[in-house]
Amino acid sequence: MQAEDSNPPDGGYGWVVVVSAFMVMGLTVAVLKTFGLFFVEIQQHFDGLASTTSWITSVTIAIFHLGAPVASSLCARYTHRAVVITGGLLAFSGMALGFFGFNMVWMYVTTGFLQGLGISFSWTPAISIVSHYFSKKRALANAIASAGECAFAFTFGPFFQWLISQYGWKGALLIIGGIQLNICIGGALMRPLASSCLLEAHHSETRTPPGKSASRIDKEDKSPITHKTFNWMLLKRPEFVLYAIFGILAAMSFFVPPLFLVPFSYSLGIDESWTASLLSILAMVDFAGRLLCGWYANLHVTKTIHLLVMTITLISTSLMLLPLANNYVSLAIFTGFYGFFFGTTVAIHITVLADVVGMPEFDSALGLFMLIRSSGGFVGPPLAGLIVDMAGDYRAGFYMAGATLILSAGFLVTLDQLQQRKERESQTSTKPEKSTLSYPSLHLLKH
Amino acid sequence: ERNISLANATTVELSCKLDPNFHLRNPQVTWKRGNETISHTTKAENSWSIKLVIVDSSKMGSYSCIVKGDEEIRATFYLHVPKIEAREKPIITYEKDTAVMVCKSDSTPMTWTWYMMRGNNPVIINESLWTDKYLISRLSANVTRLRILKLTKEDAGVYWCEAVFQLGESERKMELKVLSIMAPLKPFIAIVAEVIILVTTIILYEVYSKRKGK
Repeated sequence: MQAEDSNPPDGGYGWVVVVSAFMVMGLTVAVLKTFGLFFVEIQQHFDGLASTTSWITSVTIAIFHLGAPVASSLCARYTHRAVVITGGLLAFSGMALGFFGFNMVWMYVTTGFLQGLGISFSWTPAISIVSHYFSKKRALANAIASAGECAFAFTFGPFFQWLISQYGWKGALLIIGGIQLNICIGGALMRPLASSCLLEAHHSETRTPPGKSASRIDKEDKSPITHKTFNWMLLKRPEFVLYAIFGILAAMSFFVPPLFLVPFSYSLGIDESWTASLLSILAMVDFAGRLLCGWYANLHVTKTIHLLVMTITLISTSLMLLPLANNYVSLAIFTGFYGFFFGTTVAIHITVLADVVGMPEFDSALGLFMLIRSSGGFVGPPLAGLIVDMAGDYRAGFYMAGATLILSAGFLVTLDQLQQRKERESQTSTKPEKSTLSYPSLHLLKH
Repeated sequence: ERNISLANATTVELSCKLDPNFHLRNPQVTWKRGNETISHTTKAENSWSIKLVIVDSSKMGSYSCIVKGDEEIRATFYLHVPKIEAREKPIITYEKDTAVMVCKSDSTPMTWTWYMMRGNNPVIINESLWTDKYLISRLSANVTRLRILKLTKEDAGVYWCEAVFQLGESERKMELKVLSIMAPLKPFIAIVAEVIILVTTIILYEVYSKRKGK
C-alpha cells in the first residue's frame, strides 16, 4: 500500500534528485571528514590543548545527530527543498564566520554548532528525498547518492591542504564556506513530489476513505500528529526497535577503525605518506563498494536485509583479520576489504530502514534512527580507546569493532525472522495491512 | 652514527664495542676529533671508551672511533645543543590580524630571544620598545611564544627564535606571510555569485515550466 507515494517516478527527474543528493552529501559529510586538516592550525593559533580543539568536531557531530530528527519533522512541514536550502545557508555561515576566528568559543559556535546544524539540515532531507523518489530502484539511487561522500572526500584532502597553504586556515574556511553554499543549488533542484507528506496531511482531514480497512483510517487520523512532533510511536514497533539497536551497535563500531588505522599504521613502522595513501585507498574502495552494492541490490536477487547481514559479516571478518597485518601491503589489502564492505553497508542501510518502516513514516523514522544511532557513535570511540589503553595495542580496537558488528548482525537476523513470521501470518489473511508488506512480498514472489 | 643532544655542562662517556665474532686479530682502535687523536681513558675486553668533560661549546662536535683491521671502520658520535622545534610551513596571516609563533625545545635554555629580519639586518625584538605590537611570553621552561599584533604587509618576512644554553646557541627560522583580506575574498565572492545565479536560474526555470504546464 504505497498510496502515499503513489507513483514514485523511479527515474526521470528522480535522477536529477540523485545527482543533487550526491552533491549535498559530498559538500556536507566530506567537509566534516576532512576538517581534521584544520586541527593543528587552529590549535597552534589559539594555543589550545589537543582535547579542547577536538571539541569543535565533537560539537559538529553531536549537533549533526541531534538535528537530524528536527530536520525530518521540518521536512514534512516545509518540504525537503526548503530545509536543504536552510541547511546550506547555515553551513555556509558557520564556515564563513569561522574566518573571523576571535577565540576558541567563537570556533565552537561557528565551525561547531552552525556547521553541524547546517550539515544536519542538508544531509537528512537529501537522503530522505531520494528514497521518496524511488521504489524499485531505491537501492541503486541511495547507493549513488551516498557515493558522493567518498568522491568529494577523496578530492577534498589535497584540495583543503592547498587552500590552507595559499590562504591560511582563516581564508580557507571562508572559501570552503562559499563552496558549501552550493548545497543550496542541490536543494533548489529537489522538487517536492506531488504526493508528499504535506499534501497527505491536508487530504486526511477532508477525505473519508470508502471501503478501506480500519488500519488505514487510524493512520490518517494519526498523520497530522506524527508530522508535527517526533514520531515516538515508532518505538512501539518491534521492527524499528530492533533496527535501532542494530544501528547503535553498528555506530559503535563504525567510527573506530578510521580512528585507529593511522596510529596502527605508524606503529607498524609505515611512514606518513604511505599512511595517507591508505586513507585514499579507503575512500576509493568505499566509493566502489557503494556503487557495486547499489547495482547488486537493484537486481532484487537478494532481500536487502539479507544483503545487509552479509555485508556486516564481511566487514567484521575484515576487521578481525586486519590485526594480522604486519607490513604495508597486508595492511593495504585488509584496509581495502574493510573499506569496500563498509561502502556496501552504508549504501544499503538506509534502504533497509525504508523497508523496515515503510515510506509514510520514513522521514520521521530517519530522524529518530539517526538520533538513537548517535549514542553508539558517542560511546564507541572512547570505549575503544579504553580497550586499546588496557590492552596496550591498537589491534584490540579492531577486534572490538569486529565483535560489536557481529553482535549487531544478530539483531538484524532477529529482525528478519520477525518480519518473515509476520509475512507468513498475514499471507493467511486476504488483505495486506501494512505498507511494509508490498515490497517484501515482491521478493517472495521471485524466490 | 649517533646524535647526542646536550644542554648543560656535563661529563660524557663514549664507547665503541666490537662485535666478538668480527675480528680475531689484534685490532687497533683510535679515537679522533677531526684530525686530533684522543687517547682512550678505559679499555675493556672488546670496547674502547673515552671520557669527555664538556663545559662550553668548544668541546662540542663530532667524535669518531676508528678501527684499523682489514678495512677501516668508523663510528661517529655527534654532540650538539638541543634542536628547536617550530612550525616548518610558512605562517599565513591577514592584515590587522594577530600572528602567533611558538618555539619548543627538549631542554630548558637559559634565555630565549626573538629576532626578525629587516632588510638584510637581523633585529632583536625588544618588546618593551613596542608593547602594543610584540608580545613575548614564556609559556613554560621549554616553550616560548611570540605574538605580533596589528599586522601590516611590512611585517612579512623571516623571524627566528634563539635559545641560549650553557653549551651553545640553537635557533630556528620561520616565515611569516601577510595577505590582504581581498585575497580569499575574491574567490569567495565569485563562488557566492555563481550560487546565486544558478539558484535563480533553477527557480525561474521551474516557475516558467509550471506556467507552461498550466
